[in-house]
Amino acid sequence: MSQVQLAVGLSGEVNEITQRRSKPQRRRVARQIGGVVVAIAIWEALSSTGAVNKEALPTPGATLAAISANVGSLSSALASTLEAWALGMLAAGVGGIVLGTLVGRSKTADAATETIVRMMRPLPSLALIPIAILIAGLGIKMTSGLVSFAAFWPVFINTRVGVRQVDNKVLETAKVLGLRGFKLLYRVVMPASSPMIASGLQVAISLALVVTVSVELVGGTGGLGQFILLAQQGNEPSTMFAGIIVGGILGWALSIGFARLVDRLIPWRTQRAEGGR
Amino acid sequence: MIGVKAGPRRGSTIARAGLGWLGLAILATVWQLLGMELHTAVFPTFITSLVAAWHVVTSSTLTTDIIPSLERTAAGFLISAIIGITAGMVIGHYETVRDWTSAVVDFMRSLPTPLLVPIAIVVFGINGRMVVVTIISAAVWPILINTANGTSTIEPTMIDTAKTYGLRGRKLFLKVVLPAASPQIFAGLRVALSVSLAVMVVAEMLGGGSGIGYFIANAQQSFNIGGSYGGVIVLGCLGWIFDTLFLMFERRLLAWQRGTVGGLLDV
Repeated sequence: MSQVQLAVGLSGEVNEITQRRSKPQRRRVARQIGGVVVAIAIWEALSSTGAVNKEALPTPGATLAAISANVGSLSSALASTLEAWALGMLAAGVGGIVLGTLVGRSKTADAATETIVRMMRPLPSLALIPIAILIAGLGIKMTSGLVSFAAFWPVFINTRVGVRQVDNKVLETAKVLGLRGFKLLYRVVMPASSPMIASGLQVAISLALVVTVSVELVGGTGGLGQFILLAQQGNEPSTMFAGIIVGGILGWALSIGFARLVDRLIPWRTQRAEGGR
Repeated sequence: MIGVKAGPRRGSTIARAGLGWLGLAILATVWQLLGMELHTAVFPTFITSLVAAWHVVTSSTLTTDIIPSLERTAAGFLISAIIGITAGMVIGHYETVRDWTSAVVDFMRSLPTPLLVPIAIVVFGINGRMVVVTIISAAVWPILINTANGTSTIEPTMIDTAKTYGLRGRKLFLKVVLPAASPQIFAGLRVALSVSLAVMVVAEMLGGGSGIGYFIANAQQSFNIGGSYGGVIVLGCLGWIFDTLFLMFERRLLAWQRGTVGGLLDV
């Protein structure tokens, strides 16, 4: 437990150093855009000169054309991926935070879940896809169920640690001031552990997306995964790349969006909990 | 927590571990009772699944599927480590490189990697090489990002001192940057290890031709339900063994910095 705190203190310190050394924001953004342009140029050069097989790597132009040609099917694929993702994430988020808080508040429950957590953490949830298909059949219920199972663990683990490391002095002061039960949880424990919970959710968000598209690929249950699978079977590499790029943008947008939300909702976080993962 | 443990706390540590195993035993019992109660073919009991796992390990599956999977995971993980640590140190050390690459790295790491499996099958075909490449495309990012973070946050004084003593180029990276960033690098490596296992399974399910992921998916399609459950249990145990071995290795290798930096060893 004390190690978590040490790590948190370490990364907080570390953050200040980066900030002190950072150059003006505008130049940095210009360089980032430059980096993207260079990456696209390299991609163009690799595919148009034939250095990489055209069947495997279509040009950026061809990929863009494929995106605009498939707007309809891409957006419906995107919608069904997002639906399964959101349902699973919702269940995992609520379940992970509620159970994590309960377990983190009780010493006995905390010790009793220790070994389970240690065993479940390295278990690749993706291996459960065939079993989930066996039990629930193909469909959004199975997809979201598996997504919520996989995404539950990072949320649960981080909430448990976050709640456990709330300073005892803070808790006792709050109790002296008459805060009890639900109010104590809501007013003191939650705000104090929210940075850790936010890091857990951040991990869960990308993990949930990986599980969603994996189920779609293995089970062929619609969404972006099946879109790419169909493009592969139809031998259309540019359509496959269209799906990959859209998937990348989706993943990027979800994680950036969540990071912004956290900055807005938990301004006291200042990335301190990053190291505690 | 670091260093010498006080005498009286030892008893409570044992009690804690005992409670932990008790928790696991309760979970197994619930599974067993649920399986007996439901009595459906698709949800075998805990003991039946354990027996199935034993059959998987003792049959020819060991040489045809489990060992190839282990080789692919190891190859993918090691190559990712080499690429990730090298590129991460360069990106972290030079601020200009960091600015130029950060947007592209951000995009690549948030791309859900399983989407790349169909294209990897087109390029490499259905074989182990495809699996290794897919593992690398996923596992390299946590290593690269952690190494870059660790490198960029080294005390500037340390680097300046080393430069004053004439350390430059490769020597500077190997003798100063690498050890100073190692706690963060190991945190990244540990994440990458579990990512490698997960991606290996999906890639093999979609087109490994052999391997434990192929075995699990194949067992499900041929209604060999015990095989599916057994395969998952074997895989879970492998993940747990890998994680434990990794922590032991890390503890030994980073023993010199315990207590000086704190680190993330026990989290």
